[in-house]
Amino acid sequence: MSEAEFVKVKYRLAEQVAQPGGMTAGLANERAQRELAAHAGDAMKSLGNMIGRLEVMCREKTATLDVVYVEGSTILDIAGVFDKRVLCDACYSLCELVDRQRTHNRPDWASIGVHVSAMRLLWSKDGEDPASMKSVVDGLWAITDRLNP
Amino acid sequence: MALDPKIRINLDRSRVLLIDDNPQALEALNSMFRGFGVRKQFKCSSGAEAMQVVKSQELDLIVIDSSMPDMDGYDFVRWLRREAPDISKFTPVIMLAGHAARSMVEKSRDSGANFVVSKPFTPEVLLQRVFWVAKDERQMVVAEGYVGPDRRFKNMGPPLGMKGRRKDDLSTHVGAATAPNMDQSDIDMLMKPAKVQL
Repeated sequence: MSEAEFVKVKYRLAEQVAQPGGMTAGLANERAQRELAAHAGDAMKSLGNMIGRLEVMCREKTATLDVVYVEGSTILDIAGVFDKRVLCDACYSLCELVDRQRTHNRPDWASIGVHVSAMRLLWSKDGEDPASMKSVVDGLWAITDRLNP
Repeated sequence: MALDPKIRINLDRSRVLLIDDNPQALEALNSMFRGFGVRKQFKCSSGAEAMQVVKSQELDLIVIDSSMPDMDGYDFVRWLRREAPDISKFTPVIMLAGHAARSMVEKSRDSGANFVVSKPFTPEVLLQRVFWVAKDERQMVVAEGYVGPDRRFKNMGPPLGMKGRRKDDLSTHVGAATAPNMDQSDIDMLMKPAKVQL
C-alpha cells in the first residue's frame, strides 16, 4: 500500500473574506434571513403537499419503505433549510424508523402512520407552543426506539 | 459558539457552486448566499450537471446536499477530490446532511468534505461554516482510501470560536489585539534584567 501524501492548500476564499469592504457577519445574517423569508410561504405549502403524499401512502399501504424514506428525507431537506426545527426532529424520527424497519425487513404502517399524523399536526401548528410540540416529538422517538438500530 | 456579529466578511468576489436536487432548497440556498453578499453563484440540480461546472469554472466554495438521486453528495466529493481537474480538486466543500442512514455513515466519513452541516440549520450557522472553511488550515491528505482534509483537528486546534472536545485542545488562532501595541522601550524594559528587592 502506498503512503499517504500531505498537501498544503491555500484557499482563495481565505484571501477573499479578509479583503476590505464586505459587511459584518451580523448584517450578512440579517440580509440572508430577509431573503429566505420571501420563500418561507411556498416552502410551507410544499411541505404540506409532501405530508399529504405520505398520508396517501399510509392509507394505501402499497409503497415500499424506500419510497417512504425518500419522501421523508425530502421533507427534511426543505424543512431543514428553513430551520423548521420541530418538524425536522419529527421527520428525522420517521426516517430513522423507516431505515430501521428496512434494515430488519419489518414494515409497520401503524408506526409510520403515527409519525405522519404528528408531522401534519406540527406543520399546522408551525412555531406554536414549542413545549407541547417537543413532547409530541419525544413520543415519536419512543416509538422509533422500540426497534433496535 | 456563534460567529461574532461584528466580524467583517467579504464574499463579493467569491464564486460559489450550490448543488441540491430539490429546487426549493436550492433556491433557499441561493437566497442565503445572496444575503451573504456572494454575487457569482452557479446552481445545479444534479451531480452530473455540477461536474460540468467544476470542469469549466474556477470555484471558491462548493455547497452540496448529501442525499440526491443518481450521484449523491458523497460520490460527488469523491469524484471532485480524485478525478476533477487539478485546479479544482481541493476546492473547499460544505456538505449539507439530512438523515444519516446507517448504510451512509462510512461513506459520509470518507467523502472528503471540509465540513458537514446537519439540517436544520440557520443562515447564521451556514455563514459560520463558510468562515471556518475560509480559515481551515488543515492539510489535504491524499491516500488510497481517502482524499480530503486531514480529519485530525488535534494539531490545528478546534475551529475558531469552538471550545474543542479534549481538555487540552487550544485554538491556534490568536484573537484581535485588545490593547494598543507596546512601544519599543516597554519591550526593552521587559527584556532588561533588573535588581529586585526581596
